[in-house]
Amino acid sequence: MLTRRDILKVGLATGAYGLLGPVPRKRVFASDLPPSPRTTPFVVELPIAPIAQPVRPFATKADPGNCVNVDGTTAVHVHGPRVVTSNTQFFLIHEQARPHSFHPQLPLNSIWGYNGMSPGPTFIAQSGTPFLIRFVNDLPQNDPVGIGEPITAIHRHGGFQFEEDDGYPLDTFCTGQSRDYFYPNEPDDGLEENEHSTLWYHDHAIDITGPNVYRGLAGFYLNFDAVDSLAGELDTSPRALRLPGRMVRLASGEQFREFDVPIVIQDKQFDNNGFLVFDSFDHNGFLGDKFVLNGAIQPFFKVARRKYRFRFLNGSNARFYQLFLSNGQPFVAIATDDLLLEHPVTVKSFEIGPAERVEVVIDFKNAALGQEIFLVNRLQQTDGRKPDQLVSPGTPLLKFIVDRDAADPSRVPDTLRPVTEGPAQLLPRVKVKREFDFERSDGAWVINGEFFDENRIDAKPKRGTPEIWTLKSGGGWAHPIHIHLTGFFILSRNGSTPPVLERGRKDTVAIGGPDFGDVQILLSFPANFRAVPRPVTGRFVFHCHNIEHEDMRMMGQFDVQP
Amino acid sequence: MTPVAARLAVLLAVAAAGCSGPPPETPPAPPNPVATIREQHLPNIELVTHEGRHVRFYDDLVKGRVVAINFMFATCRNACPESTQHLVEVQRALGDRMGRDVTFLSISLDAERDTPEVLRGYAEAHGAGPGWYFLTGKPDDIEMLRRKLGAYDLDPVVDADRKQHTGLVILGNEPVGRWKAISALSKPVRIRQAIERTILPATEWPTGDAVVKEVPYEENERGKELVTPAEIAALLVHD
Repeated sequence: MLTRRDILKVGLATGAYGLLGPVPRKRVFASDLPPSPRTTPFVVELPIAPIAQPVRPFATKADPGNCVNVDGTTAVHVHGPRVVTSNTQFFLIHEQARPHSFHPQLPLNSIWGYNGMSPGPTFIAQSGTPFLIRFVNDLPQNDPVGIGEPITAIHRHGGFQFEEDDGYPLDTFCTGQSRDYFYPNEPDDGLEENEHSTLWYHDHAIDITGPNVYRGLAGFYLNFDAVDSLAGELDTSPRALRLPGRMVRLASGEQFREFDVPIVIQDKQFDNNGFLVFDSFDHNGFLGDKFVLNGAIQPFFKVARRKYRFRFLNGSNARFYQLFLSNGQPFVAIATDDLLLEHPVTVKSFEIGPAERVEVVIDFKNAALGQEIFLVNRLQQTDGRKPDQLVSPGTPLLKFIVDRDAADPSRVPDTLRPVTEGPAQLLPRVKVKREFDFERSDGAWVINGEFFDENRIDAKPKRGTPEIWTLKSGGGWAHPIHIHLTGFFILSRNGSTPPVLERGRKDTVAIGGPDFGDVQILLSFPANFRAVPRPVTGRFVFHCHNIEHEDMRMMGQFDVQP
Repeated sequence: MTPVAARLAVLLAVAAAGCSGPPPETPPAPPNPVATIREQHLPNIELVTHEGRHVRFYDDLVKGRVVAINFMFATCRNACPESTQHLVEVQRALGDRMGRDVTFLSISLDAERDTPEVLRGYAEAHGAGPGWYFLTGKPDDIEMLRRKLGAYDLDPVVDADRKQHTGLVILGNEPVGRWKAISALSKPVRIRQAIERTILPATEWPTGDAVVKEVPYEENERGKELVTPAEIAALLVHD
């Protein structure tokens, strides 16, 4: 039952944000896409993807080698059945086209999703228990929508896996085929400090990653261990951090993670009739004017007066965000990309580029019951080149509604993951440095003057050996650079100590433009995995994660030497 | 509840019902991608060929065809010759498929100087054969076309430099709505392969090693250097 007070609050909230339309944008796109239809914000509850459920072990299969990519290539890594450990858990995921509601005022759209969902099911892994996941491509071969191609490869972003399991862009499987991926679920170097927290999995097929991810092929992959544990805030072990979050079993028998909420932010564009659009003539980086969180446009989320852990992932093709809370409350950041920070950092806002993750704790304990707090993006971006500037008041993406009390046994300790193998330990072992210049050249993007070529190797680092890489970019474009098979420390940004949220290990870093400039990073590559002891060698890619740039081949590859 | 609040509540309830109510009886159909591309990216502007023929971009040059489109101008001395040279090599490799299976459209960004006669001279000088049209027209039309095909830079200063738009080859199979772009500065082999794939149905593509290894294997660790102990020492102090 609505009361007058509720109505006034709705009025105030909408007034404050100008009915929450998109940030005004210049019409500079190749096709001058008209704005998306209006949608009423905060009428849909934030969807939470279900947890992926293991299945009975099955015999793993050899990789398909004959799926033809859009560039005519076929898989480079065609391996036999995977060698798994006796404790490996098995999963079966189908890539499917399914009707999806982005918003009740828009028609159902045909998306492509893992198990037909976007985001896909959330994997919950525990360090030391490997996963074998079979992804089956059930996508339609003659899809009427025209966004994406039913040719897929799975990259577990931020994860450490063998070359045949990394989603190397040529290693695809087509409609009717499947591919098995073995994930060791252990830190790359056996060090507890390098246990992962928030990874994600997404499509990585050569030249078509942009439309395939945009169409919905992305999901979360969370990793836990004895310290950042699955029992979370209820863990009685003295080693446990007891960060917000716990597992609960719903009445349906389904497992659910409470107070620990993964949220992927994406921007999408719709035509006058509410159908998803994409512009394959735009190579600058596609932007949409609708903000989609876990698959829903501007949803709401009911919270209790206590601490929550939010794992934000920017799953957009090209857009950067800078997020604030509307009541001015700060965030306590606990992780960047897939690794917990050494110490929590309190920030008023944080910027998050494509493919980056930032984990924060928000404590609603001082909120009034019934209070509404908005998660607001204040970073304006009008084209794929780079973010423009902070604007006020910005666009609210999500409305928190504080509607109850709940016990809060969680805490945020002063030390999260101590860095025991940081620059002080790694630097003396460095023998090689490399410089990569990410440039725009005559309407395309290159690394050190070259486009990705399947038959060219750009670097040959040695396994288990750290290196220093300088990532440079001139010309006013921002590029979020992602390097596979490594986590890295940012030694400096533009010659200076990096900002506070860039002092932990990362797997994606923004460079270029006036805001980001150049970075020098210290990276190492794993030597072995304990689960299946075998040298970690072979071909992996590094690339710009503005996916349109990546698809235009702003990508290189390194061949890790034994 | 006051009357005003009651009215508002009814309005909100109606709005809410509208949100979650049944879909309209004839829901709009999803767009047809081929038609959308035609409407949004393939304007039917008037152009003149290097042979002096007046043509329409969509009706006469693109409709029903496989095309490779680039932008150029005859006096361009830096990026352009390499682009044109690459296309000349691709033309040679495509042989008699030129004009039959694929049409090259090289559109001038310098309509004032690039008259049909100038373009004819340029075509002859480069040995452009059948199935390759050099085109000029009204500068505003070509400007619109360039933008619609995605050959532009978001930085207005860079965008004002015509040379910056000569590095892209836009490949399209119009009837099936398959479009992509490749840099004109890519290896000519890769451009030719991309054109072949635009022509052929996917089931007939050359694949695998036949494609990859047509460009010889290369290791090129550009930007690699050995680190000196002094550098490490400096970084350790910094750290």
